[in-house]
Amino acid sequence: MRKRYLIGGGVLAVAVSLLVYASLSGAVSYYLTVSELLDRGSELYGERVRVAGKVVNDSIEWDADALELRFVITEGGDDLLVVYGGARPSGLNDDSNILVEGELRSDNTFQGSTIILKCPSKYEPQE
Amino acid sequence: MDTAEIGQGIIILAFLAALSSVVVAGIGARTGSRRLISITRIAVISTAALYSLALATAVFAFLTRDFSLKIVSEHVDNSLPAAYALSALYADKAGSVLLWGWLISLFSAVVAFRKHEYDNSILPHTLCILAVIQLFFLAMVTFVVNVFEKNPTPVAEGLGLNPLLQNVAMLVHPPILYISFAAVSVVFAIVIAALVTHTPSAQWVRWVRRWTIFGWCMLGLGNLIGMWWSYNELGWGGYWAWDPVENAGLMPWLLITAFVHSISGQRQRNYLQGWSLVLAIFTFEFTLLIPFITHGGIESPLHGFYGSQFPPYILAAILVTLAGSLGLLYARRKDFPKDERSFSLISREGAFLATDIILVLLTAIVLIGTVLPRIVELFGGTRIVIDRSFFDQVAGPIMLLLVFFMGVCPLLGWARTSWQSVRRNLLFSLLATLLVVVIVLIIGGGKWYLVAATVCCFPFFVILLEWFRGAKARHQSRKENYLRAPLALLSSNRPRYGGFLVHIGIILIALGIVVSSFYAVENTAMLDIGQSMKVGEYDLTYKELIFKGSQTKVSAIATLSVSRQGRLIGDMYPENNYWFNYMDTFAEAAVRTTPSEDLFVSLVWTSFDQQDKSVTIRALVNPLVVWIWVGGGFLLLGGVVAFSHQDRRESQRKDR
Repeated sequence: MRKRYLIGGGVLAVAVSLLVYASLSGAVSYYLTVSELLDRGSELYGERVRVAGKVVNDSIEWDADALELRFVITEGGDDLLVVYGGARPSGLNDDSNILVEGELRSDNTFQGSTIILKCPSKYEPQE
Repeated sequence: MDTAEIGQGIIILAFLAALSSVVVAGIGARTGSRRLISITRIAVISTAALYSLALATAVFAFLTRDFSLKIVSEHVDNSLPAAYALSALYADKAGSVLLWGWLISLFSAVVAFRKHEYDNSILPHTLCILAVIQLFFLAMVTFVVNVFEKNPTPVAEGLGLNPLLQNVAMLVHPPILYISFAAVSVVFAIVIAALVTHTPSAQWVRWVRRWTIFGWCMLGLGNLIGMWWSYNELGWGGYWAWDPVENAGLMPWLLITAFVHSISGQRQRNYLQGWSLVLAIFTFEFTLLIPFITHGGIESPLHGFYGSQFPPYILAAILVTLAGSLGLLYARRKDFPKDERSFSLISREGAFLATDIILVLLTAIVLIGTVLPRIVELFGGTRIVIDRSFFDQVAGPIMLLLVFFMGVCPLLGWARTSWQSVRRNLLFSLLATLLVVVIVLIIGGGKWYLVAATVCCFPFFVILLEWFRGAKARHQSRKENYLRAPLALLSSNRPRYGGFLVHIGIILIALGIVVSSFYAVENTAMLDIGQSMKVGEYDLTYKELIFKGSQTKVSAIATLSVSRQGRLIGDMYPENNYWFNYMDTFAEAAVRTTPSEDLFVSLVWTSFDQQDKSVTIRALVNPLVVWIWVGGGFLLLGGVVAFSHQDRRESQRKDR
C-alpha cells in the first residue's frame, strides 16, 4: 500500500519537475544594465533580455502616426537607443529610471517590447 | 516631552511588558501554577494595552502631521487627506512592523481573555510563544529602526504619500493582510504549544479552527483587494502579473488553504497529524517571508518593506523558528498514532490529502519562480528574470485541474465511497457540463471558453446538486419549503456549506481569470479631438479634454463617448494626473463594468498643454472580469459562514 503511494508521488514529482524545467528554459532571460548589455554585444543578438538604464534628457521622440517611441537610455557611460512600438507610457520622462524588455539588434539598437517604469525613488528618502 | 520621547517611552514599556509576559508565561508553562497563569494574562493584556498606546501615539502624530518625526515627514504632507495620512503609517516599513506586531499583541489578548476555551496547560505555552513573537517585533521597531525617530532639523513640509497609494483599496489592503498574518501567528503558537504539551490533535484542531478560517479569509481578501487595486490603479488593465510581491501573498494563502483542508479532515478522522502541523508551520514561515521578498525588488518600492533594514533579522527569525519547530515535530513523532483504519484515496480524506499535495506543489512552483532569480544572482553573479509565462504554463494548468477536481470532493464519503451513492450526482453533473460545453460550441466560443466551461461547470453542478439533495431530504422529513430548506441546511452544517460557498467563489474567480486572460482585446491609439478608435465591439470618440487644478495636482480629464455596435451608451472620463510633489504623471483609468465584460479605458499620455490636446488612449475589453470580484464576495461570505460555527464541545466548555 505504502509503496503504491511512493510510486505515485515519485511519478508526480518527476512530471512536475520536467514541466518546471521545460517552462523555465523558455521563460528565463538576462537582466542587464546598459553597459553590461553592450559589453556582451553580439552574443546576445536576438535573445530576449531586460535592460535597466536612465532616460537621457531630451532624447524622447514620439511618432504619433506610427505609434513609435524612440529614446536613449544610459548607464555606466554607455548609451543605448531604444525603439519601442507602442503608446508612450505616462511616467516615462527625462531622467526616469526604467527597465526595457526586448532584444538587442545587430545595429546595437534595442527593440523594446515592454517598458517597465521603476517607481520613482523620491517617495523614499535617499540613504 | 515631545511625541517622539513619549512614543519611545511607551514602546520601551511595551517591550518590558512583553518580556515579562515571556518570563511569567514560560515559568507558568513549566510549573502549571494557576496563579502564574493569571499573572500571565495580566502581563499579556498590559502588553496589548501599551502596544495600543504606542500605535495610538504614532497615529496621532500622523493625523496631526507632526513633522518633527521622521516617519511622518517621509510619508505625509499638509495637503494629504486625513484618511491617507492614517494609511501613510503602513506605507512605512517601521510603521508596518508596528501595526503587524500590534495586531499580534491584540490577538494574544483575545486568547488570554477567552481562556476558558483553552486548556490550562496549553494556554501559558501559547501566550509565551506569542509574547516571544511580539518581543521580536518590538525589538525591530526599537533597536533596528526607531519608529519614533526625530528629524535632526525642523521640517516644514513632508514628502507626501505616493499617489498610487492614495485610494480606498490601499487604505484597507495592508491592514487586512497584517490581520491575517497575526491570525496565522496565533495558529502557529497554538500548534507549537500543542506539540510541546503532547496535546492530542482532536483538541488543538478545535482551538485553531476559527483562527485558521479567520486568517485564511483575511489573507484571501487582502490578496483580492491587491488585485483589484492593480487593475484599477496601475493602468495596465490586468490584475495579476506574477510579480514577486503578489507571489509572496499567494504562497501563504495556498498553504493555509491546504491547512484548512487537512484540519477539516482531522476533525472527522485522526490521520496525517504531522502533515497538518508541517502546513501550519510553513504557513507561518511564509507570512514572515513576505517582508523579506517585498523589501528589495525594483518593481516594488510601493510596498511597506522596500529598502528596509529588517530582512537579515527576519531571515534569522525564519531559520530559527523553522529549525526549532521542525526539530520539535521530529522529537514528538511518536505522539502521532497511526490510524488503524485503512486509508483510501477515493474517500473524502484521500481527496483532502490530494488537494493538500497539489497546493504544496503549487507553492513550491511559485517559490521557485519567485526566488530563483535572487539565488542565481547570489551564487552566479548574473542577474536573470523569469517571465510570467513560466507561472502561466506551470501553475495555470495545475490550478485548473484543482478547480475541476473540487467537484469530486463533496461527493466522496469519509473513509470510503460507495459508487451507488455518488453515481447519480456524478452522471448528472457531467451531463449538465457536457450540455453547457455543447452550447458554448454552438455559440462559437473559442477553445478556452470550452476549457473554462468544463472546469467551472462540473464542480458548480456537483455543489448545486448536493445542496439540492440535502434540501430535498429536509423538505421531505421536516416539511420545509424549497426556499427555506437550503438556508436551514446551510445554518445546520456551516463548515460544510461555508466550504461550498467558498468553492463557488473559487469557480467564479477561475472563470473570470481564464476567460479574461485569453480573450481580452486591446487597442492603443493617439487621438485628436473628434477622432475615434475601435476596441472590440466598442467605438470610442474623443470629445474633449479639460484640465482641473488643485493644490496637489493638475488633472487632465478626457471625455470619450462610447458606443457599442453603433448604439450610444454614454461617456467615460479617464484621467491623467500630474502631481506637483512628484513631478510625475499617474493615469486614473475609467472602467465600465457589465456582467459580460469590462471596458477599461486609460488616458496613457497627454502633453498637459492647453494648445495640444492630443491624447494617447489605451482601451481594453476584458471579458468576465467582474466575476473575479463577485467570487471574492463568495469567498468572504463562505469564510464568515464557516467561521460562525463553533464546535459544540468548545461552547460547552464555556459553561464550566
